[in-house]
Amino acid sequence: MLGTRGTYQRILVGIATMLAVLAILVVVLLAFRPHLSIALPALVFVLPAVVGTVIGGFPVGVAGAVAGFLAYDYYFLPPYGTLTVRSPQNWIALVVYVVVVLIVAQVVSQLRRAREVAVRQTAESNRLYDLSRALIGDLTLAELLSHIVTAVQDTFAPEWTALLLPEADGDPTQTSTLGVATHAGEALSDADVQSLTAVGGHTVSLGLDGGAVPHRVSLALVVAHRPVGMLVVQDVQLTPAERGMLGTFVNQAALAVDRAQLREQALRARLLEEIDRWRSALMGAASHDLRTPLASIKTAVSSLRQVDARLGPEDRAELLELIELQSDRLARLVSNLLDMTRIESGALELRPAAIAFDELVEEACGLLGGLVARERISVKASEDLPLLLIDHPLVSQVLANVLENAGRLSPPQGAIRVAARPGPGSPGMVEISVSDEGPGIPPAERDRVFEMFSQNGGGGRAGLGLAIAKAFVEAHGGRIWIDPSVERGARVVFTVPGEALVPAPA
Amino acid sequence: MPKVLVVDDDPSLLKALRIGLTARGDEIAIARSGSDAVEQVALAEPDVVILDLGLPDTDGVDICRRIREFSRVPIVVLSAYGDERRKVEALDSGADDFVTKPFGMAELEARLRVALRHGALAQGGGPGAPSTLHAGDLDIDLVHHMAARHGVDLQLTSREFDLLAYLARHAGKVCTHHMILKDVWGPGYGEESNYLRVYTHRLRKKLADDEGRLLRTVPGIGYQLVPEPEPEPAPSNE
Repeated sequence: MLGTRGTYQRILVGIATMLAVLAILVVVLLAFRPHLSIALPALVFVLPAVVGTVIGGFPVGVAGAVAGFLAYDYYFLPPYGTLTVRSPQNWIALVVYVVVVLIVAQVVSQLRRAREVAVRQTAESNRLYDLSRALIGDLTLAELLSHIVTAVQDTFAPEWTALLLPEADGDPTQTSTLGVATHAGEALSDADVQSLTAVGGHTVSLGLDGGAVPHRVSLALVVAHRPVGMLVVQDVQLTPAERGMLGTFVNQAALAVDRAQLREQALRARLLEEIDRWRSALMGAASHDLRTPLASIKTAVSSLRQVDARLGPEDRAELLELIELQSDRLARLVSNLLDMTRIESGALELRPAAIAFDELVEEACGLLGGLVARERISVKASEDLPLLLIDHPLVSQVLANVLENAGRLSPPQGAIRVAARPGPGSPGMVEISVSDEGPGIPPAERDRVFEMFSQNGGGGRAGLGLAIAKAFVEAHGGRIWIDPSVERGARVVFTVPGEALVPAPA
Repeated sequence: MPKVLVVDDDPSLLKALRIGLTARGDEIAIARSGSDAVEQVALAEPDVVILDLGLPDTDGVDICRRIREFSRVPIVVLSAYGDERRKVEALDSGADDFVTKPFGMAELEARLRVALRHGALAQGGGPGAPSTLHAGDLDIDLVHHMAARHGVDLQLTSREFDLLAYLARHAGKVCTHHMILKDVWGPGYGEESNYLRVYTHRLRKKLADDEGRLLRTVPGIGYQLVPEPEPEPAPSNE
């Protein structure tokens, strides 16, 4: 918005233009002076005054009237070259000239002002629209706050603009103190911040007239009589229209901030709900996984105790084997659960050490106990395989979980192949894969089997095993996936870091 | 030799059940999915069904309902601890009894025996409504509203009689609070399990069944009339 300086400038330009036009007209008319009637210059000299009024407004019109009066009198009313007016008729001409010019200037300047107001109002509403447009957008609270200060800063060009919000961690029953949430423009000095966050019961004066600090405008953001925050604009001079605009904008900003805060609260509540749901899903998965082997163990043991005499030696052996296998399964589940808690509590700390691949496989088989018969597992490692640089208790757990899953989902005697090679396309990583001859995993389930809730996914109960495998692999900076290219069975692949190969001396 | 259909998806539990039940002299059939179970009930006509509620492909409650559409075979449901709501749903949908996992063979056997006997009663009843009911040592004359235990007349109010008659009609089956209240008190009832506590207490007094062996309380679920109470199982088997 143009200030008073602009108005002066316009008046000066108007006067200059008016004088220039007048001078030209005087020169032109002087050439024809002998042939002119006395009234003609009066008519012609209306022109510079009107031009001046259009540019500079009514004051220039007045100046035009004066200048035109003088020029008319001096050059075109006899005796020429003096300001003396001899005949009363000429006096009348002069007076009529001045009155006409003044009236015309008045009318023209009014028209001009009306047009200016219209233009300004359009511009204001456009700017208000621009300001407010982003307020209705889908912004997060932080984005919204920074948008508000930037918009004010860009529009009014003050030294700085700051937005203050109540400090969140205060006791809600206490009068909350305000803190600077965000600002735009020049950096805030310590003194500025001090003056903004007047604590200890100091009142910060609000309003458009600045309050205690000169040239400062502080506006409260209020929604339904409840303060939401405060907008402070430093070193700005506002026209009344701009004040109105700023006030309107602040009201809209208050609504937007309030809405964004409510939405953020709702999001937080939903997040908590999600965590709750996750917890109970974990509990459900864990209790189901634990109960299943327990049920067979108890059934088998009670059979052995109660109908022992009627059991053949084969039945007895089978029941005992079942009990042992299910106990192993239970033990694995318990360690998986403990690991899961470690992951969840963030207590997982990697202790990488070098270990050979076949050692890792043996360790995993040891963890499996009799769950997957050792004869079913074949191991193949490429010759250039480096040592693995891993936290091997964790990675053997990963391998055991993947093997157990393969064993459970494939036919009882189906072969399971474990292979390792330097990770193609991922230098420094080793790719380990486990292939089985089971029914495979349908494409839609391939990501879900690694999730905690994939109870019924993949045609078998993955339970927690693969979810834990994923967490451990990712803790090593690797990743785990189901190979989509195999046509028969399933191939689970994961990568873990390998020891850097020492280049052979040249 | 009773024929038992076991419906479960866990191979190890199936194996343990197969060995244990066969050793007791039962004939075992196995179904690994809900649809397989319904089919086998129709084709193989087992004497009793053991149904795991936690099957992966179908809801166990749904299977109960589908079996009940064409068969009165007794169903004993296997369910997880703490799954009371599902147990009640299964019982309301036609299951006769339930066993909570993990369970001992003695408990399962006892439940199967009661269920088998109840199945025999139910099948012997036939469509023509009987005028008298015999459940163990209980004799109930539905026409004259008279009940006797060991041949001794019981002085019952009409509500007490209705309750006893209902349980005797479903002897061996676990009847949920909801089922009993709806039938004995009327369609507007269903949640007033405190009524049942009062009436079963009075009934037990009159039946000389203070420990609730004949009229068993199934905590949180309902009541079951056990016509020939089992001797208490050994404590080690819970």
